[in-house]
Amino acid sequence: MPGAVAPAGNSAKRKRISSEKKPIKRARSESSESGEEDGQAQILLLENEIFESKKNYNNITTLFEICTRDNEDPDDSVVAAISLCRVFARLLISGELSAKSGMSDKEIVVVRWLKERYSEYKQFLLGLLVGEDTSATALTLCMRLLKIEGDNLRNAGEYNFPSRFLGGIVWMLLRPESDADARTAFTQNFVEEYDDIRFYTLEAIKNILQDEENLNPNEMINNVLDMLVGIESVPESHEELEDFYVEPPKKKSNVVFSLLQHKKRAQGAWLATMGLEMDKEHRKTILRIMADSIAPWFNQSELLMDFLSDSYDAGGSMSLLALSGIFYLIQEKNLDYPAFYRKLYSLLDPEILHSKHRSRFFRLLDTFLGSTHLPAVLVASFIKRLARLTLHAPPSGIVAVVPWIYNLLKKHPTCTFMIHREARTAEEKEMLQKEGMDDPFMMDEEDPMETKAIQSSLWELVTLQSHYHPNVATLAKIISEQFTKHAYNIEDFLDHSYGSMLGSELSKEVKKIPVVEYEIPKKIFMKQADAGVEDSLLVKLWDFN
Amino acid sequence: MPPSQLKRLKASLREQGLVGPQQSKKQRKLNAQNGGNKDKRVGKKVALDGIREQFNPFEFKLSGKAPKFEVTTNKVKSNPSVRRPGVAKAMAEERLTKAYEMDMQRRKKVGGIVDKRFGENDPSMAPEEKMLERFALENQRHHKHSAFDLEDDEMPGELTHMGQSLSLDGPPLVDDFDETDLELSDAEDHPSDEERQARKRRRSQGLEGGEEEEDDEQRPERKKSKQEVMSELIAKSKMHKYERQAAKDDDEDLREELDKEMPDIHALLRDMGSKPAPISAPEVVGMNPERAALLNGTDKIKFDKEYDLRLRQMAQDARSKPTERSKTEDAKIEQESRKLKQLEAKRLRRMEGNLESSDEDDVANDENVDEDVEEDDFSLGSGIKARPSMAELGVEDEDDFLLDDNLIASGSDLEEMSDENDSEQDDSDREAEAEFDKDDDFLKGLLTEEEAKRPEFLTGANAPISEPELPVKNGVGGNLAYTFECPRSHEHLLKITKGVALVDLPTVVQRIRALYHPKLNSDNKKKLRDFTLSLVDHIPYLANQPVQPLFSVLETLIRHIHSLAKIYPLEIANSFRAHLEELNEYRSLSPNPGDLVVLTAIGTIFPTSDHFHQVVTPAVLSMGRYLALKIPQTLSDFATGAYLVTLCLSYQSFSKRYAPELINFIENTLCTLAPKKLAKLPGSFPYHEPKVSVRIEASPKATRRLALYDCAPQEFSEKDEEALKDAILNTNIALLEAAVDRWVAKPSFTEIFEPGLKILQHLSSKNCRPKLSSVNQKSIVKLTQKLTTLLQTAHLNRRPLTLHHHRPLAIKTSIPKFEETFNPDKHYDVDRERAEAAKLRKEYKQEKKGAMRELRKDAAVAARESLREKRERDAAYEKKYKRLVAEIQGEEGKEQKAYEREKEWRKKGRK
Repeated sequence: MPGAVAPAGNSAKRKRISSEKKPIKRARSESSESGEEDGQAQILLLENEIFESKKNYNNITTLFEICTRDNEDPDDSVVAAISLCRVFARLLISGELSAKSGMSDKEIVVVRWLKERYSEYKQFLLGLLVGEDTSATALTLCMRLLKIEGDNLRNAGEYNFPSRFLGGIVWMLLRPESDADARTAFTQNFVEEYDDIRFYTLEAIKNILQDEENLNPNEMINNVLDMLVGIESVPESHEELEDFYVEPPKKKSNVVFSLLQHKKRAQGAWLATMGLEMDKEHRKTILRIMADSIAPWFNQSELLMDFLSDSYDAGGSMSLLALSGIFYLIQEKNLDYPAFYRKLYSLLDPEILHSKHRSRFFRLLDTFLGSTHLPAVLVASFIKRLARLTLHAPPSGIVAVVPWIYNLLKKHPTCTFMIHREARTAEEKEMLQKEGMDDPFMMDEEDPMETKAIQSSLWELVTLQSHYHPNVATLAKIISEQFTKHAYNIEDFLDHSYGSMLGSELSKEVKKIPVVEYEIPKKIFMKQADAGVEDSLLVKLWDFN
Repeated sequence: MPPSQLKRLKASLREQGLVGPQQSKKQRKLNAQNGGNKDKRVGKKVALDGIREQFNPFEFKLSGKAPKFEVTTNKVKSNPSVRRPGVAKAMAEERLTKAYEMDMQRRKKVGGIVDKRFGENDPSMAPEEKMLERFALENQRHHKHSAFDLEDDEMPGELTHMGQSLSLDGPPLVDDFDETDLELSDAEDHPSDEERQARKRRRSQGLEGGEEEEDDEQRPERKKSKQEVMSELIAKSKMHKYERQAAKDDDEDLREELDKEMPDIHALLRDMGSKPAPISAPEVVGMNPERAALLNGTDKIKFDKEYDLRLRQMAQDARSKPTERSKTEDAKIEQESRKLKQLEAKRLRRMEGNLESSDEDDVANDENVDEDVEEDDFSLGSGIKARPSMAELGVEDEDDFLLDDNLIASGSDLEEMSDENDSEQDDSDREAEAEFDKDDDFLKGLLTEEEAKRPEFLTGANAPISEPELPVKNGVGGNLAYTFECPRSHEHLLKITKGVALVDLPTVVQRIRALYHPKLNSDNKKKLRDFTLSLVDHIPYLANQPVQPLFSVLETLIRHIHSLAKIYPLEIANSFRAHLEELNEYRSLSPNPGDLVVLTAIGTIFPTSDHFHQVVTPAVLSMGRYLALKIPQTLSDFATGAYLVTLCLSYQSFSKRYAPELINFIENTLCTLAPKKLAKLPGSFPYHEPKVSVRIEASPKATRRLALYDCAPQEFSEKDEEALKDAILNTNIALLEAAVDRWVAKPSFTEIFEPGLKILQHLSSKNCRPKLSSVNQKSIVKLTQKLTTLLQTAHLNRRPLTLHHHRPLAIKTSIPKFEETFNPDKHYDVDRERAEAAKLRKEYKQEKKGAMRELRKDAAVAARESLREKRERDAAYEKKYKRLVAEIQGEEGKEQKAYEREKEWRKKGRK
């Protein structure tokens, strides 16, 4: 029996060796000193001896000792690890590591012993994953062994993914002290590439996070997010599940072929992650990719609801970010969010026009208020509140709001009472004449249906027609001109800032001769000598002596 | 179903009696006797022709339209509705064949040059006639006037029409309708060729008699008249030439006389009465014979020199100018005030967004206004759009602005603009000159008394300086130099003013300005410009010095720059813009004192009330940027902000524009400085709590004012800090008051200032009040009262908005949808251009089709003819060949026979 197996093993061995010549060479070239050469030559000798006879299996222990030895030469241990990997790979392929029926007790003892060595070696490799210098090599070795193990160590040809081993790898990579490069390499080269690795990695993440023994899962949040965010491509159909690292099972009913199962794993991993305590930044990171990369994984999007509404209720920029996720759920999953508009209305706080998420928010707001079936009272509240906010907004914010208001007024003609309302009755006129009026709009009212905004007028926009920036002032004038344009393209007005406005202003060449003040002031910093002339504001308030 | 072709043929043959039951012998005989047979044969032929035509459906073509009305014409139309395309086609074919044959004949025989000389191919003309005719024609061609110019007295010939005299005694005029050129040229489709020929014949016959006679009579007459005309023409031209020559001679004489008197006049003009005669003699530059003699003389060099000298003197002679009428004091004041008013009006126009126009007349103004409005609208598009994605916007979104702009501003407008620019340039030059004049006053004002006395500072004087008496007090050290190099750059300026005390800097600037006054040297304008630019760089440099500069000095420098800016507006504006750009790029949120001073200078030098200004707008924007984006952490940040708010408010002192950043900053400052935090923030300004609390802890004993150097980041002692907080609070309250004054007329005054009032109330509550200084307490109370009253007034004055008192828009009219008498053949396109284009397209298509058909026909004819020719050639060859073969065979046969005979004969003979 062994004789029959041997030729196959040999051929495999040849391949392996030929493919592995490179690292050896590299290792050699790295170590130029003769002493090292000796050490490495010895390792190679040991390795070859193992291949020659079963009697030399004890060399494995020697090699392992070289590996684990805290000697002064790390190169040697790396070379030993590599050669051990080769040894175990060959043993795995030749089936020496699996007990077969009809083996003598002695042989079974050998197999068991080998298995023990093998698991020891794996533990050692996992330990290497944490070190900064060794992590890349260790990762390569781990993944190679994983493949060989998955391909060969099967019980009667049945599919058996070494998920424990992978779990170990993931666990090491997720530890707070682990190496970021190795994690990135793992995510990019394996998780993102191979469907089965992704499947079991997601499962492993979930298990690790929910493990009772895991004392501090919250500390892992950084690395978990790092890895999960790296998984970008969501498979959309079964046909897309075709890249497998380990030889896929023959039965098509296996879990790795099921898109549903894939999604379930991802969902589990994400839910476990969201269950962790996290700070604002992590939440924002999740919220940013929510609609694009997370939500499509979820079979039951309702599960996202808690997270999203928690974030939405947090206020500030967090709410803005959560908004797009909620919108995704509403739009795609037919989610019903009670008092959505009320919540949306509450987002219009003093900071919104100053926020860096302004354009993102306005895009969404434009979508939410895009329907012509919304009650005019509600729309009027939004208009009025934003108009109020423009009184304290930067020019870029005003520029975004004004055309948006124009579009809304065009869509909801009822709201145009806010820019043109005549007193109809004589009593009304008299009242106005005698008592003037207050703004009926209630800024503090939280319910947009109750603000009485529709009875108000947009005095704020008229004030902005005398804004100091000429372009803003001109733009604000569109409200008082005839509404001949169908709609403004909001997109064109969103991405402005002080920097862009200044830049465009200053980059223009001065062609027309600039006007100079014709009157040269007598005094600028000093008090007027002439008592009759009033000092300027600057002189009055500031001391220049 | 109609009967078959064959059946019909048979039937019609039978009808005509061409076929039928055979006649009996008797009948036939009878017919022959009657001569009916002969008749019948003729009739038979006609009938057959008829049948043939009838049975060829392509022989006739019935035009779709029957003639609508009976029209009386000379054209006799037999049956206008029937056309014979077959016949026409055959005729066209024939014509083409003929043309082809002609071509073939002329091929390789006739060159491409056609002799078009007059009468070349007319054998009836005598050689002399030909020559005369050609000469006349040549002359006509060279004659510039129109042949039909009745004013021209030299008639080239009598009026003719189609080469025929138009005199009344000529041949009788033919009716226009009978003109041959009126007939249709497309003969191929026209049925009545024969008719036309017939008619032609008829007409010529009718005319024949008279015409021929007349021809005989007229020919000599006409010949004669032409000759006469020719001779007359020649004679006349000779006479004119002579007259011109005579007139020219007269002029020449007169000029010579005048030339002789020239030196005398010279002497008179230039008050140089005593001029030696020999020198004045060569002065004569006329066509004098003396001149030649002189030129040949020995003193040629001397003469040349003299000439040059004179010429230069003449060139440099100052022309007399009309002196200005001296004005009375009142007139001067009036003029001054009028000028001020004009300037003010211009400022107002600019404030409303209408750019200043340099010329005064109203028409130009109106144009300008329009143009500027458009420009403004457009700049809204491009101005805000700084990012590439925004570039599309100009096209996509602002279409109505853009369309207006582009449709109108094509070409002509551009030219106008450039014209305007030119004129502006001129104007600005002129203005600059005027400024120089005015400058003198300014300089005088700046110069000290002693200096003003000194001749070197008196402009335009280039008299030698005699013994300069030194001023008693000259600079701080008393040893300030009087002459300086003109600084060409800021480094240069620093080098020059190295040893000069700061206090003396204005004096140095004055002296440099006086020394390099543009009137003294043409280079000075450039030098002074560079000096101005270096001065602009010098202000922030001075302000950034660790030692606080004297603001009086800065003030004088800014005023100097201001006065120079009137001369070099563009350069100075660009220099300030460069400063702004630097500020924007490197320290937008941490301006140094130099930047603050530069912003102050911009506020005084340029009109801040303009709707748009190339320097002021970016300056305000940079200030707004600081106020909005900077989250003040230290007291110096608050001080800087307060300074910028002050500047912004003084920028808006005239135009009173609203700036949200200002009110945000003031309210934020008041809230953060307040001794106790407000329980609930009023209003909707963004509130930033600094990391280290800056709340007022205790009131200082003495209140001080803020100084510019509080803006620089520095460490304060606790006492100083409290004093500074107090000062900042005080300033901000004053600023709030100023803001209230500025924006009291705004429609949303209530919304803007209500939060401010609440903050003030909080400050004067018993939580905060004790910690504030008495000065601040007072001002808070005062402002609170003021604000309350104003808010009440605003409440009273508030009315609902009525923005849309526009006339309802008319529905756009477009192509009428319904046509009373619609004709599908007609085009009802109201767009003239489009209709014309469509017409042209159709014409082109038809022409192309026609040309193609023509070419195809030509090619077909050519091919057919060449084939025919080839066949003929082949046939002839075959015939010849056969003939030759037959001949040979015949000969051969003959010879054979002869041979046989001979053989037989010999046989016989042998036998």
